Amino acid sequence: MVWLRSVAATAAVLVVALIVNFALPRLAPGDPLSMMLPEDVVADMTPEQEARVLAEFGLDQPVAVQFWAYARGVVSGDLGTSVTFGEPVWAVVLERLPWSLLLMGWALALSALLGTGLGLLAARHDGRVGDLATTLAVLFIGSAPVFWVAMLLITVFSAELGWLPSFGAAPLTAFPGSAAWYWGVAERLVLPVAALALAQTAGVWLTARSAMTIALHRDYVTYARAKGAGERRVFLVHAFRNACLPIYTNVMIGVGNLLGGALVVETVFSYPGLGSLILLGVEARDYPLLQGVFLVATLSVVAANLVADLTYPLLDPRARR
Amino acid sequence: MRVSPLLIGLGCLAAASTAVSAQSLAPGESGNRVPPARFVSAVDNQGPTEADRLTLGMWVTAGNVTTYTIGNSWNDWVLWLVFDKLREPSPYVGKAEPWLATAIEQVSDDARVWEITLRDGVTWHDGTPFTAEDVAFTFEYYREGPANRWTHHASSVPRMVGIEVLDRLKLRLTSEKPMPNFDRITAADLPIIQKAQWEGVTEPRSFTDLGIGTGPYRLVAYEADRFYRFEANEDYWRGAPVVKHLDLVMIKDPQTMFTALKTGEIDGAARPVPPELVLQWQDDADLEMIGAPTLWGAWLDINVGRVPFDDRDVRRAVTLAVDPEPMLERIMLGQGKPGTHAWPHVDSFWTKPDLGAPHDPDLAAAILDDKGFVDTDGDGMRELPDGSPLTWDLKIASNQPLFLRAAEMVQAQLAEVGLRVVVETLDPASLSALWRTREFDLRIADITPHGIADQDMLIILYRGDARRELVEDTEKAEIVRRWLEAETRADRLAISYELQEYQTRYPNRVMLWYPESTFAYRWQAYDNYRPSAGYGIFHKYSFLPDAVRTGVVDPLLDD
Repeated sequence: MVWLRSVAATAAVLVVALIVNFALPRLAPGDPLSMMLPEDVVADMTPEQEARVLAEFGLDQPVAVQFWAYARGVVSGDLGTSVTFGEPVWAVVLERLPWSLLLMGWALALSALLGTGLGLLAARHDGRVGDLATTLAVLFIGSAPVFWVAMLLITVFSAELGWLPSFGAAPLTAFPGSAAWYWGVAERLVLPVAALALAQTAGVWLTARSAMTIALHRDYVTYARAKGAGERRVFLVHAFRNACLPIYTNVMIGVGNLLGGALVVETVFSYPGLGSLILLGVEARDYPLLQGVFLVATLSVVAANLVADLTYPLLDPRARR
Repeated sequence: MRVSPLLIGLGCLAAASTAVSAQSLAPGESGNRVPPARFVSAVDNQGPTEADRLTLGMWVTAGNVTTYTIGNSWNDWVLWLVFDKLREPSPYVGKAEPWLATAIEQVSDDARVWEITLRDGVTWHDGTPFTAEDVAFTFEYYREGPANRWTHHASSVPRMVGIEVLDRLKLRLTSEKPMPNFDRITAADLPIIQKAQWEGVTEPRSFTDLGIGTGPYRLVAYEADRFYRFEANEDYWRGAPVVKHLDLVMIKDPQTMFTALKTGEIDGAARPVPPELVLQWQDDADLEMIGAPTLWGAWLDINVGRVPFDDRDVRRAVTLAVDPEPMLERIMLGQGKPGTHAWPHVDSFWTKPDLGAPHDPDLAAAILDDKGFVDTDGDGMRELPDGSPLTWDLKIASNQPLFLRAAEMVQAQLAEVGLRVVVETLDPASLSALWRTREFDLRIADITPHGIADQDMLIILYRGDARRELVEDTEKAEIVRRWLEAETRADRLAISYELQEYQTRYPNRVMLWYPESTFAYRWQAYDNYRPSAGYGIFHKYSFLPDAVRTGVVDPLLDD
């Protein structure tokens, strides 16, 4: 029944998300026409000419008709045509999705490992210099705006040291699939992943440190020590196994945050993922594109939460009841 | 840059010729001249004049590289890599050279009928011959199809009523109203598209095929908003380009763009270098910089569709209270010209040379007193004539830090004459939408060379404004009507001057500054850029052999 409740809740969230995804872009001032044509051209257009341009993308229809077309499209897999790209939204999204998965996947993994590792370290040295130093460092980086961290990384590792490229996702001149291409992709991934992971690490660290600190003071830890378990076993098996539950939840919820961070990071690094696509869609008031990207983002977050819900019982036997 | 000494020398000549006497001007010639480009770096290196591959950074997406997805003067140069015009380089300099057309002749006294003779032997990128059918199709498509940045040349000013193909290389165009500057404006601005490729395309903004043009470069691959790859058209009728491959990469963030230039990841940055970076890079050993006339402007837009701006005297008072001089110094660090000249652009060929917008806060205050805008509650700020509070909003885009500084200065200057202004920032898309929604009192925005350096666009903008005015300005409408009926270049220019004088006296836009745009590139990669008015240094002429571009790209410098 647990999974049934999860699936039902997920379906409800999806329906609400669909409505919000449709409404949000339209609530912002302006429309695609203002961005499709320069101001000096729009200035001389008659209402009929304006309507004709909007009609190319079905945006001259009443909102209810547009919503119906959108909802039907979601079901049938047709998300319309991007005003900016002139291509089907699915094609544009699928072109960008692998880059986002690459970037966000690495950032998620790195932030989870780094945040958890540093959190455990801080909890182990609770109240001592190591804890204080880690706390200060993580909170400083976590509080810094992600665009600033990204620019700092570019300044140090691209401009000053010249170690890594500052923009893009792949070398234009290398043949896709060649060793040089893969190397170029890896090089270009380092700084965006670092920026995104650093922004994400603080949240994981806070959760890990707090959960471990609490766990280390629980009765079952005291009991484990009393019965003669080694400190390493107490720390990793008895305390960490219990502390990893909130950490796991935090990491999975972080998928949504990652997308927000990716929007900034991808823009700074000219990385061609979904984040930069959202920014482009917002700038151009590209309703179909925004609806499509929001849908993918919604599905990703909902899927992450669903996976978390469904796998949680594997980690915590109490949740099976 | 090898041509810079020549540029500087010719520039001096051009500057001297600015003062050319009225007697030496041909009919329709303003005598106004675009100033020469300026070599900004401390050292003029001698780099290669040819290159196999160049990577250039761009920041405004070029869509699918068609006339329907490019419409901004920051990216139209990408279009010109693929497409040619009947005459080139641009409508901004008043003197275009034969390009796809070898002759463009006015054949009716009323300037409504023109005949165009095309160059023989030109081929499209797919190898098919370029003919009069393509040109006729271009005009028909733009007249009947959805609007884009260029369609006004066939559907509005001028509006074509007759398009006849006379033979394989000759056609005749007839317009509804006179078009005495057809050869200087329309012919020098309208890209010619291939009939075979575009015939039957009903949704041009969704057209994603690789564009086929007659230009010096073939578009071979692109991913909109990410990169564009071009290969030299070795059969280009004007001569094979000296740069064989061009890779354009999208870098939206300015800091990333200029870092990539500094590290050598890109060879040139197709966006102006910020004023403070210009000073920092002047002695850089790897970079060279050129200050080139892009004919852009920054203006304060007054909403004539709102009370009390429907009163032209109130608008005049606002203009008199704003002083652009200190803005240029403090915001642009002196790199450009102050907007004391009103609009169109101070350096445009079509601009009345001695036009000036005075700064006179005392007169502004007197006008406001006369109109009943007085301080009734003693707080130092004026109230409306009915005694209600006066607060105007001044809107700017959140991605324009320079405009924020300008807005604060406008706010302070208007406060000096007792006008209260509140500065509001909006995201760029919301600000652009204001042009249509008119939900603002004042706003600061960029204006392109297409908007302020093209005589036809001046009329189009006036006409567009008129639709939004609360009360029809009959005096201005009559000037516009006479301009549209004028049959000679000289008459049009004279009437345009009247319009400019009128606009300066009773403006709905106040020019704040005309920036000097400085562009940077790595001279070791390629050092053969050539400035062109309205485009800067990144455009197709920079990649053509010297022999074919001299006298075309910067004709004013060669005068």
